[in-house]
Amino acid sequence: MSRVWRAAARLMLCLGMVFVAASAWALDVPPLTGRVVDLAHVLPADVAASLTSDLETHEAKTSNQVAVLILPSLEGEPLEPFSHRVATTWKLGQKGTDNGVLLLIALRERKLRIEVGYGLEGTLTDLRSAHIIRNEIVPRFRDGDLPGGIAAGVHAILGTIEGSYKAEEGPSAHVRHSQEPSTFQYVLVGIFVGVMAGIMLSHGLQYTRALVGSALAFLVAQFASIVLGVVAAGITAFLLWLILQTNRGARGRRGNWGPDFISGPGGFGGSYGGDIGFSGGGGDFGGGGASGEW
Amino acid sequence: MGKCGITLFSFLMIVSVWGCGYNDLQGVDEDTKAAWSEVINQYQRRADLIPNLVATVKGYAAHEKDTLEGVVQARAQATGIQVTPETLKDPAAFEKFQQAQAGLTSALGRLLAIAENYPNLKADQNFRDLQSQLEGTENRIAVARKRYIDRVAEYNKMVRYFPTNLTAKFLLHLEEKPNFTVADEKAVAKPPEVKF
Repeated sequence: MSRVWRAAARLMLCLGMVFVAASAWALDVPPLTGRVVDLAHVLPADVAASLTSDLETHEAKTSNQVAVLILPSLEGEPLEPFSHRVATTWKLGQKGTDNGVLLLIALRERKLRIEVGYGLEGTLTDLRSAHIIRNEIVPRFRDGDLPGGIAAGVHAILGTIEGSYKAEEGPSAHVRHSQEPSTFQYVLVGIFVGVMAGIMLSHGLQYTRALVGSALAFLVAQFASIVLGVVAAGITAFLLWLILQTNRGARGRRGNWGPDFISGPGGFGGSYGGDIGFSGGGGDFGGGGASGEW
Repeated sequence: MGKCGITLFSFLMIVSVWGCGYNDLQGVDEDTKAAWSEVINQYQRRADLIPNLVATVKGYAAHEKDTLEGVVQARAQATGIQVTPETLKDPAAFEKFQQAQAGLTSALGRLLAIAENYPNLKADQNFRDLQSQLEGTENRIAVARKRYIDRVAEYNKMVRYFPTNLTAKFLLHLEEKPNFTVADEKAVAKPPEVKF
């Protein structure tokens, strides 16, 4: 028995090492702690604060989400794929309009990129992005004025995308979360259907009627077209059936796929900003924008 | 009743998984088509930029005839091959498309390498703008290709996995789709020769 445990522990250790190695190799996307994420500490507090408030007012007015990320180094990661990874992980911009912009600056590599969401590619074109980098940011960076260059770049970006979208009237930030039926809702429906099916099964209704009930449950879940709902229904029905069949003993407790399925879907929360409650709205990026160096 | 319940439960599970496979397969099939349209779209965008680029370079380096003609020819070849989402199933057509685009990529690489030899060209505002646009487009192509690769991988998995493979084979008659290969990436990544 102990040998089994030791083998298992060894395996875990190996897996752990692989994990550590993998994460050391690829630069992680930093957490979205605010609209201005300055990991290289180049922005004075007052500049960062005023930029943040400008970006906030801009979003309140236009729903565009613009964020700035300043990294000490890319650690060997190529700029464009990393920038795209950050933008899509942070999900800048609103869902549907995809109106997010990321300004990424890597100090050691002296490289920067403006990553533009799908919905703003028409106004903040690759060319316009290149011009902002070339004319607004790089000259100031070359003079050693990083905060000035970043502020000028951000304001040029905001000025360009000003008229593209309008913020929805009313508290759109709250609507955002309940826009589409979440996985959670499907699971709830599934559990409800499962409870029904389970009760039907355990009460020894006629075979045919139970079958009709299950078919109905299946149809409902199918209509929702979500596997998870069906799985939840199945699991609930099975568990309930087990519980209600206690007099029969634990026959047919076949394997441990139950927990597997339950842990399968993972979290359905979404990304939360943290500190000041800023989070991406679900925007997508298609690689638009421009890169530059100084 | 116990046996009956288990039978019923397994029946329910199998039917639902199989049934969902139908919709899911249709869904991923559509996704791959959409992703492919995006790839085509971005390649087209690149092709649209080239005449301007060639004209600009000609203004400064008209005697680099071979390279300029190489780009024009590669562009003609690349735009001559149309791969719609429907003909996407054909691996041979896909291969041809991929080769033509790779040819255009390397021809463009040679052209931009030549531009390094002409300081006046490099300083030209028009040329710099075109270069930025070209870079942007190349990046979009990379993103679109990556999305297509992911979608096709997902789709191909469903087409091969049990039990969705049954749905794919007998009900929908779906086949595996060809994907971009690394061999082509290697050819693309080969740095163009730079003459001093």
